[in-house]
Amino acid sequence: MNSMNNVTTIKELVTKKITVLKEEVIDQYQVSFEVKKDDVHHLLSVLKQAGWRQLSYLSAVDWIEDNEFELVYIVFNWEKPVHIQIRCRIDRNAPTMDTILPIYPGAKYYEREAHEFFGIAFPGNDSHEKQLILENWDDIPPLRKDFDPKAYSDARFPKREYSNDHVEMNGQKESKQAKREERRTHILDLIKGGKK
Amino acid sequence: MMINILIGFGVALFGFVLQTSLGGINRKIIGRLQKRYGPKWYQEFLDIFKLLSKRAISHGWLFDFGVIMALGGIIATATFMPVTNSIVAFPNYDNFFIFVYLIAVGMLGMAMSASGSGNPYASIGVMRALTTMLAYEVPFMIVILTIIKLTGTSSITGIAEFQQLAGNNWFMIALPLGFIVSFMALMGMLGKKPFETYIAPAEIASGPMVEYGGKQLGMLFIMHEITVFIEVSLFVHLFLGGAENILIFLLKYAAVYTLVNLISNVYGRFKIDQVVKFFYKWPLLLAIVQAVIAVYLGWVI
Amino acid sequence: MKSTKFSELTQEQIDRKWWEIGDFFRRNSLWMLMYCTGCCAIELPPAMTSAYDMERLGMGPMATPRQADVLLVTGYLSLKTLRRLIYTYEQMSEPKYIVGFGSCTINGGIYHDSHAVINQLDRYIPVDVYVAGCMPNTESVMNGFVDLMTLIKNKQANGWIKYKENNDWYKQNQKEALGEVKIKDEFHE
Repeated sequence: MNSMNNVTTIKELVTKKITVLKEEVIDQYQVSFEVKKDDVHHLLSVLKQAGWRQLSYLSAVDWIEDNEFELVYIVFNWEKPVHIQIRCRIDRNAPTMDTILPIYPGAKYYEREAHEFFGIAFPGNDSHEKQLILENWDDIPPLRKDFDPKAYSDARFPKREYSNDHVEMNGQKESKQAKREERRTHILDLIKGGKK
Repeated sequence: MMINILIGFGVALFGFVLQTSLGGINRKIIGRLQKRYGPKWYQEFLDIFKLLSKRAISHGWLFDFGVIMALGGIIATATFMPVTNSIVAFPNYDNFFIFVYLIAVGMLGMAMSASGSGNPYASIGVMRALTTMLAYEVPFMIVILTIIKLTGTSSITGIAEFQQLAGNNWFMIALPLGFIVSFMALMGMLGKKPFETYIAPAEIASGPMVEYGGKQLGMLFIMHEITVFIEVSLFVHLFLGGAENILIFLLKYAAVYTLVNLISNVYGRFKIDQVVKFFYKWPLLLAIVQAVIAVYLGWVI
Repeated sequence: MKSTKFSELTQEQIDRKWWEIGDFFRRNSLWMLMYCTGCCAIELPPAMTSAYDMERLGMGPMATPRQADVLLVTGYLSLKTLRRLIYTYEQMSEPKYIVGFGSCTINGGIYHDSHAVINQLDRYIPVDVYVAGCMPNTESVMNGFVDLMTLIKNKQANGWIKYKENNDWYKQNQKEALGEVKIKDEFHE
């Protein structure tokens, strides 16, 4: 009962300050708000003052059909047991999002990670372009939906060769195979042509 | 003179063989404690000879020279060690202070070589080893000086014979507090578990030994075994009344070393500041109390 | 002087004899360096503790690459860990052996189509023994170690010699997968 109260107070707090595009109560410990890109900083600073002091995670989702990235900021309160997710959509073609370093300094490495895996730029975070996990990466960011990990892996890492008796491919689809071939040649070209 | 030197090297070799076999047996005992089968009793020999058969990487001449200096210094120290009352390589030179000075040569060589490797973990390990030494040396020396004051001699065989003449009244019984203090100091000296701070394999990757591999590590292992031999037999001579014959020596030696090992295997590891605080608190206090009781009040059983 | 029995042996034969003696010690005292990259590492605690007791074979964990003889690669290797594995392997003192655990080191396992995980470990560093399974159970892990001892006895555990002789091939493969092998990251500057 108490925690449901928490959720309603959070709703009041958020809706009073800014316009919420979509809200979702996942359970009594998690609430999700979708807001406009420009409202994120304001909302985060409001929440930080209200006690959500910790940025638990900054993640991204690739909605390739809508041609948009969705950034998910998860903040956590040490007094009230509620996680709040702040979601916002940004353009996929030129993904940029102002950094939240002044509000949550811990976002430094999450932003670097998001830049590395999705190619989202964070102006204001000086080190967002430094490599963190992938070293010497030479392709499009790997967690984008149009990246084909299988083709990359086939081109880059040689497979152990077995006789065909033991290998069973389930449902070889022609179209996907052709696409993979295309990407493989593309990657091989990249390797031959040197670093970008 | 030549025969004395030969006896001395014989003592060092004896110490190496004794300690290495006893170390293997102790590993087996610990294995049985933990409901394991345990390694072979000669496992430590296999380890050392395996290391000597491997190829080694050098990190500069200081690194190599330090290892040789450590091994040489420790062997030289071991030559002075009396085994029984009669087996003494250099009679009249088995003074306690000779061991204190000579063992420093080996330790210095090890510290030099470890610092020569350039690894920060090695420097941390050496620093911690020296800090631990500072910690246990103070209470230990107070107890030893008490013994020297009581017996009037600083010769190891002299002290052992003093205890035997007094009707097997060992200093272990005569100075019970001092015995407890120096047993703790012995555990610190041997680098056993609660005071294992300077080796700490999971924390600073075995400290000073971090960059050694192959032959150099094998030499350090031999050096370590002989060091343990020196320290434990010093303890046997000072507190357990020495030995009339070699059998008694083996018995007492094995008892002390096994006890140390059993105690060490039920403990976790102190942090370095905890080690220093521990040694400067209770052992130091007990040592001073023991010295006052024994020297000024004369209450010696 | 001429016809003593010892001097009839050539230098090569004498070296061989010494090597055989050394092999006896090496196979009875294998010190492991555990590079716990993946889930197969969970099979090592039961192998070390009272259930299977690795120490009776003379094996034990070691703290640094310099001291160790066997490198255990337990599980999948991403590009970043492969780079560190190569650094580690090259630091070990010879003779050195590698045991690869699980299907990930053999053919990529369930990560065969990942962009970050290599598929065949023995293209990048020489592997002496593979322990198959996803994950291998503890009996097969112990069996793998006994196999390694037999290989050392029969002089077949010569992966480190292969690495020296075919160094160009290995370096070429490493370069294909990793780009530059030695890089400076910001945490070790």
